[in-house]
Amino acid sequence: MNAMMELCISTLTQGFIYALLSYGVYITYKILDFPDLTVDGSFPLGAAVTAIMLVKGVNPFVTLLAALFIGAVAGFVTGFIHVKLGVRDLLAGIITMTALFSINLQIAGSNLAIERSIDTIFTSGPIMAIMGNSSLIYRKFVVALILAVVVKLILDWYLKTKSGLLLRAVGDNATLVTTLAKDKGNVKLLGLVIANALVALSGAVVCQEQRAFSSTMGTGQVVFGLAAVIIGTTLFRKLSFVKATTAVLVGSVFYKACIQVAISLGLPANLLKLATAVLFLVVLVLGNKQKGGEDRA
Amino acid sequence: MIKGEITYEKMMALAMAAVMTMAALTGCGGSSDSASGDVPVIGISQYGQHASLDNCREGFLLGLEESGLVEGVDYVIDYQNAGFDDTIAQQIAQNFSANNVALMCGIATNSATACYAAAEDKNIPVIFTAITDPVKAKLDSGNITGTSDKLPIEEQLKLIRALQPDAKTIGILYTTSEPNSVSAVEEYQAKAPEFGFTIEAIGVMQQSEVLQAADTMISKGVDCMTNLTDNNVVGVLPSILEKTNDAGIPVYGSEIEQVKIGCVASAGIEYVALGKRTGEMAAKILKGEATAEEMPYETITDSEIYINPGVLETLGLTVPEDIAAEAIDVTAE
Repeated sequence: MNAMMELCISTLTQGFIYALLSYGVYITYKILDFPDLTVDGSFPLGAAVTAIMLVKGVNPFVTLLAALFIGAVAGFVTGFIHVKLGVRDLLAGIITMTALFSINLQIAGSNLAIERSIDTIFTSGPIMAIMGNSSLIYRKFVVALILAVVVKLILDWYLKTKSGLLLRAVGDNATLVTTLAKDKGNVKLLGLVIANALVALSGAVVCQEQRAFSSTMGTGQVVFGLAAVIIGTTLFRKLSFVKATTAVLVGSVFYKACIQVAISLGLPANLLKLATAVLFLVVLVLGNKQKGGEDRA
Repeated sequence: MIKGEITYEKMMALAMAAVMTMAALTGCGGSSDSASGDVPVIGISQYGQHASLDNCREGFLLGLEESGLVEGVDYVIDYQNAGFDDTIAQQIAQNFSANNVALMCGIATNSATACYAAAEDKNIPVIFTAITDPVKAKLDSGNITGTSDKLPIEEQLKLIRALQPDAKTIGILYTTSEPNSVSAVEEYQAKAPEFGFTIEAIGVMQQSEVLQAADTMISKGVDCMTNLTDNNVVGVLPSILEKTNDAGIPVYGSEIEQVKIGCVASAGIEYVALGKRTGEMAAKILKGEATAEEMPYETITDSEIYINPGVLETLGLTVPEDIAAEAIDVTAE
């Protein structure tokens, strides 16, 4: 296979897998206006649960459900600390994230590797039955694509339901929610639960793809998620027919592509972060310019 | 208002141009890679910038050369550094896989794991170095081999006993999530009684906690401290040494680079030699003399004794004649 083609496919795969995390960050940051730092902990949480279950011989698809559930619990904890105990949003996330660092290690024991003999969602029965003839890189691509698109469609549908509309209302105009006789705290809690379930799902898929859980794998994921969301929504701000979730998906792919370009160009790792920061700044400034224009108009 | 709009349009165009340039550049990168397709590419993924890991890489290149292979003719190197970022390590490995490198070399556990995952489908051979416990990292079977840098713990204990005949407790700082460190601490605890020591170990979860742990360690009145190859601890070693020197507590390193920074001494393996052995193994694979699958991984146990005479003198330690004769002075050029 053409190297360039293959590189594009594996970059898209990365973008799709991490898009699941970006959807979560989109819900908290963009919809709820809640800077949720739980992500750095709930991402490896999903991976830790998946790793230990895979090693114990659990079906790889079941581990995804388990990750969704445990991520939801993590989101609930942050929500509970913020809404019920009245701790500031940023701090509530930090508390859960810090606690999760220990909990993740308790769950997985230590950094954990998954042997090749253990099946993952990319090598197990159903996938092999459908596309067992194609190479692993294609299987990973298709599975990641399906996951990213299906979750996106479910989210799109959900955001149009009554519950979803309330969620959007809390971020935009919390007073409205109160006048509708709904508790905005509970709505926020629900948003955090959904967001962190998605983040943990992303961690679970990364764990299966990488065949490893590492306690440090969560570091910087919030920043990545924010970047993907902001890049995506900024790029498509003018095209109102593009759904925000689609924009986030593209933002996620765009970010991963930039990293891949930098690696291909042989940029040293130290400069890599700087390049990302510059790119991030350019997109942000672009976004602000546009916002300013709209405000004046 | 109109002015603002124009600026925006301009910036958008600029951004688009930038994106397209980048796309074009990757295109070029891709095609030039396949153009040099005749010469096998060795992809080296190093987990981060770190003196010992750098030594491994240098040794690896040396090992290839000394096995009679010529760079540019028999192989070309694609060296990448992940800056201690797991996500970057993954993308580097995928880059190697997409470019169909002949061999991947993973320096340190996380990089090797990422390489092995990316090589899964194509069965590209992976060679690793600087991994203390390949079995625990599940890198001991399959189309993978390499070298393990198990700490020479007995030699280190022997050295400490020789330099500090009256010492009773040895302090160790380590990261609890590092499997390498945990197993090394266990080994220290098991072997220390033989040499009449007790081990005082303090675990941390991240680098920001190390200095506080060092303060605690000093307050416990340990007679000396010894290092592992724990990245979090070694990363802040200079600050630890400031504290311990004030308190008059000698710190023993786990390899040469730590002694250069200011540890009193170390019985440590030589990372250039470790890398060199890895390079020789890689050469065998490239020449087709053996596959990574056939070759078992090797644990390098030969250790050297390194001393830092300046620090030894400051702390009032004397090196016994027999050890001084074979020890390597790291400050001598």
